[in-house]
Amino acid sequence: MPKFVSDGQLPIFDRLKALGVSPLGAVLLVVLALFPLVVQDEYLLRLLISSMIFGSLAMAFDFTAGFINIVNFGYAAFWGLGAYTSGLLAVKLGLTPWLGIFAGALIAGIVGLGLGILTLRLAGIFASCMAWFVALALMAVASNWVTLTRGNSGLSVPLFFDSPENLPYYYVVFALTIITYAVLTLVTRSRVGLAFKAIGQNLPAAQASGINPTKYRIINFTLSCTLAGLIGGFYAHFVGILGPNVMHTSHTIEVMAIAYVGGRGSIWGGLVSALILIPLMEYLKPFMELRLIMYGALLVFVMLFYPQGLSGIYYGVKEFFRRKIAARGMDAPHHN
Amino acid sequence: MELSQIWELVLTAILRGGLYSLMAVGLSLVFGVMNIPNFAHGEFYMLGAYVSYFIFSTFNMGPIAAILAAMVATFVIGAIVEKLFFYPLRMRSKDQWLMNTFLVTLGISIMFQNGARVIWGSTYRGITEYWPGKLALVSEMRIASDRVIGFGIAMVAIAVFWVFLNKTSLGRAIRAVSQDENGALLMGISLNNIHTVTFALSCMLAGLAGASLLAINPAYPIMGVVPLYKSWFVLILVGMGNVGASVFGGLIVGVLETFSYYMFGAGWQDAISLLIIIIILVFKPAGLFARKGVKTVWEQ
Repeated sequence: MPKFVSDGQLPIFDRLKALGVSPLGAVLLVVLALFPLVVQDEYLLRLLISSMIFGSLAMAFDFTAGFINIVNFGYAAFWGLGAYTSGLLAVKLGLTPWLGIFAGALIAGIVGLGLGILTLRLAGIFASCMAWFVALALMAVASNWVTLTRGNSGLSVPLFFDSPENLPYYYVVFALTIITYAVLTLVTRSRVGLAFKAIGQNLPAAQASGINPTKYRIINFTLSCTLAGLIGGFYAHFVGILGPNVMHTSHTIEVMAIAYVGGRGSIWGGLVSALILIPLMEYLKPFMELRLIMYGALLVFVMLFYPQGLSGIYYGVKEFFRRKIAARGMDAPHHN
Repeated sequence: MELSQIWELVLTAILRGGLYSLMAVGLSLVFGVMNIPNFAHGEFYMLGAYVSYFIFSTFNMGPIAAILAAMVATFVIGAIVEKLFFYPLRMRSKDQWLMNTFLVTLGISIMFQNGARVIWGSTYRGITEYWPGKLALVSEMRIASDRVIGFGIAMVAIAVFWVFLNKTSLGRAIRAVSQDENGALLMGISLNNIHTVTFALSCMLAGLAGASLLAINPAYPIMGVVPLYKSWFVLILVGMGNVGASVFGGLIVGVLETFSYYMFGAGWQDAISLLIIIIILVFKPAGLFARKGVKTVWEQ
């Protein structure tokens, strides 16, 4: 089989590969990095920023759903918890947002850890239900504890930057997306990641190999919630106003649909599908209900007919071409 | 608290609990027999309310006709949903069945909720009462007869359903499938039919709940979310897949909710409920009335 990129020739690709970035992914990243320098449209930039927010959330969601097979049905609450923590610290204590977002991540991670310890030793549906209950309770607290959160009228949060331009936000969220992706890929490629896959694919076999499923599930769940909190912190200082609706179940469903359309267990699929779906849905905004119906239909469709999602299509196409090339290689044999 | 006040609270609690029982029994049945965590259960409650509303106020038929129509409609829609979504999923693969069906039911729920919003709009469609008048139960306390009859319907439905599950051959077949699918198959039970009937029956119970409480809860697109949430609460409280205990669970949750509402005010019940669930999960994770051998504790 002919090699287009040999292992020694272009070390940069090997380095990237170790981080889980394929050549195609590298091209996508370069395009994303250069995009705002070429196209200076504030509306489009804002759209891409929210795509990357949801893309990062979907990647971190997929880290739990696609690997250990636990659906975090209160995911938006961890996102909102990070947002509220960072926002409240900035408002009440004057903490700079740059530290606040890490505090948000920490709090979301701690709640995730507690919830994980409580539910992850049980069947997956317990974790899903409990995460949902936590989300509903947090949302109720956010709207009823008016003295702290200003309830439904919304909490004004200081922004990251003084200028109203979207460009600096774009690069912050771009960096966050890359960090999220790199962390998730490095973890899934480590020994711990192997344990995650084993648990997700065959629980009894994983247990028989001496893996403690509860422990690894908790590690995974906590990391996923921490990342949601981090992204939530960014979101708070990006939009500038927070309402309890951040934690609404409809946001969880949005993240979920994006992650599953992207393809479970692929990590990168979530980002790609967010970059496609969020702008698409934005153009459907006048039809608010139809938009949500589409999310529902997409979820059902992907589950019923194409459980591998976009990543499945990508790998299918890749496999197809690999076979083609291999077949041609057989016609005209050559040495390696 | 005065005695009459306590009475009032207890009555409200029980009436409310009856609804949760009816919802939880259906949810529990589907979870026990088909291993589907049905997050679209609340949408059948919503459909039941809408159907009975249209029959009762648009076509001016009696309350009994309205409730029966709602039952028939939700039964049929439930059967169609099962054949359309879960049957193909079951045929394709049973890998990660629980999580897949969970997501499919979520998708169905979103489609139904927003479909209802598109078709009927976000307005509340309620009726003042099915049965006019009030009943005096305890000395001078008077309750709207709708509430009492609604509770009566819920209890009769649960009783009839219990007899159905235990005394008829179809009911026995359903229980057999919930205990051991392969064993049931060997006894000549058609799994596909049982699954469809079970799902449709569960939807019918939800539709019945929605229809019989129309005078109290008007029909609107997202009305199913709270009953769904409460019935999951019941299921975790008493143990999943335990149909009989769901009845008590519903009443317990009704009492808890009414009293926490009274003590802490609106909006905080969710936090209180969560606290109670956490305590349950710490000390008795399989639920209050968990029976050994419920097959759904470790999913695969």
